[in-house]
Amino acid sequence: MTDTEIINLFFERSEQAITELAKKHGSAVARVARNILGNEQDTEECVNDTYLGTWNAIPPHKPSPLRTFVCKIARNLATMKYHSNTAEKRNSQYDLALDELEECLSDNGSVEEAYEAKELREAINGFMATLNHFDRFIFMRRYWYSDPVKDIAKMADSTTNSVTVRLFRIREKLRLYLEKEGLLV
Amino acid sequence: MKRETITLMLNGIDDDYISEADVFDPETIQEPPERIVHMKKRIITFALAAALMLALGITAYAIWSIHVARQQELKADLKIEENNVSSYMEYTVPDEQASGLVLLSSVNDGQEQHVYVNISPVTKEEAARFPADVRFVWNVSGTEIGGFAGPQLPVGLSVSGEEAIRDAVLENAYDEESQTMTLQCYIDVNFIEEAMAELGTENVPLQVKMIVGENEPKTFGPVPFSLTEEQTRYFDFGHAIYHDEELNKDIEIVGLELTPFSAVWKVSYEGAEDFHTSGSDQAAYEPWSILEDKVCIETKIIFADGSEFSTGGALTTPYENGIVNQFCGWGSAINIDDVQRIVLGDLVLWEAK
Repeated sequence: MTDTEIINLFFERSEQAITELAKKHGSAVARVARNILGNEQDTEECVNDTYLGTWNAIPPHKPSPLRTFVCKIARNLATMKYHSNTAEKRNSQYDLALDELEECLSDNGSVEEAYEAKELREAINGFMATLNHFDRFIFMRRYWYSDPVKDIAKMADSTTNSVTVRLFRIREKLRLYLEKEGLLV
Repeated sequence: MKRETITLMLNGIDDDYISEADVFDPETIQEPPERIVHMKKRIITFALAAALMLALGITAYAIWSIHVARQQELKADLKIEENNVSSYMEYTVPDEQASGLVLLSSVNDGQEQHVYVNISPVTKEEAARFPADVRFVWNVSGTEIGGFAGPQLPVGLSVSGEEAIRDAVLENAYDEESQTMTLQCYIDVNFIEEAMAELGTENVPLQVKMIVGENEPKTFGPVPFSLTEEQTRYFDFGHAIYHDEELNKDIEIVGLELTPFSAVWKVSYEGAEDFHTSGSDQAAYEPWSILEDKVCIETKIIFADGSEFSTGGALTTPYENGIVNQFCGWGSAINIDDVQRIVLGDLVLWEAK
């Protein structure tokens, strides 16, 4: 079934929409949630909440592409759940990915952070525009989709080491970029 | 930055980037390739320009002349002539083609084929929406093979921030009069080889798409495109061993494959295979990673006029047959026939006889 047909089912308020959505994009949604939450129980809850969120959002939304739309919902729900979980419960690829970024983006200032979402959004998208396709792909897979490095290497037909080294350099680039933009002291 | 801030920042990434990393899916549109003739060099004469103005009219002439002007700018910016870059291919600008996709020039650095193209018409409004709301992709028509393209900015220019990038693009890569945007397509040589195998031809139909916001992509081309020749010089270091005092480690520097725009440093050391396969001990690899970088960054390539060049850090480091291949790339050409010495610290790796 095409995305348009699935969206039409949502517009018709047919419960078949959820079944078809799960069939077509369920594994991608679960993967995003699992990478962030690191356990099956939370993942399952997050996936179900994502379907509910999609049901509530369409209509009025008519997203294109649908997969990106549902993955974004899943990621937002999963990160909210992640931050509300106790530290002991956190043990996921998302943790590792955040550790990598946090280590690289640590600043020297003791000033309380007060960034506006808009300036962060502009900065990260400006940075993304400076990357080539391959670097953008591995950055997104690691830090947005929270995929393990070995999986990214497999997707990119590369080695774990090569991806690790490349990610290291991209993080350095990001740090320099954010410094230039005045977002890191 | 705190974890919450980093999360907030990542949540702001545009949908386009999320989609492109989800699955690579440039649309496939079957169109017959047009035929153009390739020539190595073109001599522009006033007579030809005048004849074209008469034949094509002022607007078409403006578009034709921006193609030729961009070719001259690229050649100067990439330092092609002064560095005798024989692998640089300049295409004939078709007189009859006033808009669409026009191949300007191309160079194969062994790993990537850099293809410079003009696309038109692109309105100023569309051009000004880059990078916030406009993406460019290339793909081989009839296949799922493709990748990203970007406005071609001068090699030495460094800009950051959406506004600065937009201004630089409008100033350097866009021509308002002819509504033409100059792009560089970053094409992995393996991708083109795959497309050639899939389509059973050496001339693959290359097209470029511009995606503005949520609109349907605008397609330019296709035009027939084939891989160009590499220009490589190999320096054999006779299994030179570099000892790093600080790290107390030895690394064997086997050789260097040098092209005008890229290099592959070939090194070998104990345990390299393990470190370059999945599941390796990253902590144990770290000093070797530093040493690998040192070879790429600190080795000086010295030319006849005494000037020195560093290839910079490697972009990828695949391991093959006992050798770690460290791929490095840079913006404007070097003269690979003019190399006189290659040294790392006190170690002379190679010297012209």
